[in-house]
Amino acid sequence: MKKLKVLLLSCILLPILAWADVVDSCGEKVECIEIGRWDVGIALGYGNRTNPLKDYDDIPIYLVPTFAYYGDSWFFENGNFGYTLSEQEKFTINLTTSFSSDSAYFHRWDPSNIFIAGTNKFEPRTLLSSTATSPTILKAAQEPEVGELEKRHFTYFGGVEAFFYTRAGTINLSLAHDLLNVHQGTEAKLKWLYNLAIEDWKFEMALTFDWKSEELVDYYYGIRPGESRYWSQAYQAKSALNTGIEFTSHYVITEHWDLLLLARYTHIGDEIVASPLLNEDYTSTFFVGAAYRF
Amino acid sequence: MAADEYDTSGYTLKMTPEFCITSEDELTCDLTVVLEWENEPFRPICILSDYKEMTKWCAESAQLHSLTLNIKATDDIQFVMIDKETHQTLAGVKLKVTPASEPKVRRRYRNPWSLF
Repeated sequence: MKKLKVLLLSCILLPILAWADVVDSCGEKVECIEIGRWDVGIALGYGNRTNPLKDYDDIPIYLVPTFAYYGDSWFFENGNFGYTLSEQEKFTINLTTSFSSDSAYFHRWDPSNIFIAGTNKFEPRTLLSSTATSPTILKAAQEPEVGELEKRHFTYFGGVEAFFYTRAGTINLSLAHDLLNVHQGTEAKLKWLYNLAIEDWKFEMALTFDWKSEELVDYYYGIRPGESRYWSQAYQAKSALNTGIEFTSHYVITEHWDLLLLARYTHIGDEIVASPLLNEDYTSTFFVGAAYRF
Repeated sequence: MAADEYDTSGYTLKMTPEFCITSEDELTCDLTVVLEWENEPFRPICILSDYKEMTKWCAESAQLHSLTLNIKATDDIQFVMIDKETHQTLAGVKLKVTPASEPKVRRRYRNPWSLF
């Protein structure tokens, strides 16, 4: 695991060596959007997002919406708002909202699961009652079960983010705090994105490091005394670092139609995996479909 | 000057309007233009253009001094008035088609399909 982190970190930091190079402000490296005009699209197809929570079903994906509006400084993108403090040739600094993927594992209608159809049973159920064994995490059979879970609420994050544009890709740094006082946690991200266009094929690859504070980890993955007295003592949440790799590709068929392929893999931090709520140490997402942009 | 050519000072061709800015939605100019000419001393004339809907039009009457056209254009159109018999160019005018200003754009910070 350490080797993977070093490799991912190297991939992110090496582009900084190309710092002095200037990249086009709009082009195949950086996507642009028309100011003052809604960009609305919808993708139909099939995909799946695995749920690392024990006894929670995976999330099928049939419909993926996208909607964005950018003003001169304000912008709205898929449920989040932002305000650009500084837009320069080599970097951008924004104030922005965001939502993490953690609450999505618990709630059917979390924004990260919007428009995902299926027959998922998202009601918390008694954990560790399943006879299925985990391929990656083995817990002693005699360990007590976790009772019915209390609510883990969705929250918005607010914070600051920066983008640095280099010929070797875009570096994205962000720091965000719980805005709705749900868990008072903090999340910090480091992301390297590389865009490539080969005629009508467009590719985006990304490596991510996603640090979650102890408060956040404890709220979603910690065990309350009412759920299990044993596990509320046995599992002590700590801050965690998720690492991920993302791949997005779309093929331009016409002005409005694209073929779309998405793939995500996130390795969940050991401190989260240690929670009795999880039986996987990763989550992965894929989607294949056709996208229409209005 | 060739032997069969003559003084063209009495021959003029004007057009109203001479400029058009394309609409942002369709990127075309949809307008009515009026061509007016002086033809003294009278000679049968033709008007040629690179507009595909009217490549050649001829007027043989001395009383006719204008032509109205409905035009849909994306590029400049050149009109030339020529002597019908000798094909000598007598006058010319151009409809200038100017595209609407390019839409203002800015960087997009998120992949449109990065909801998950």
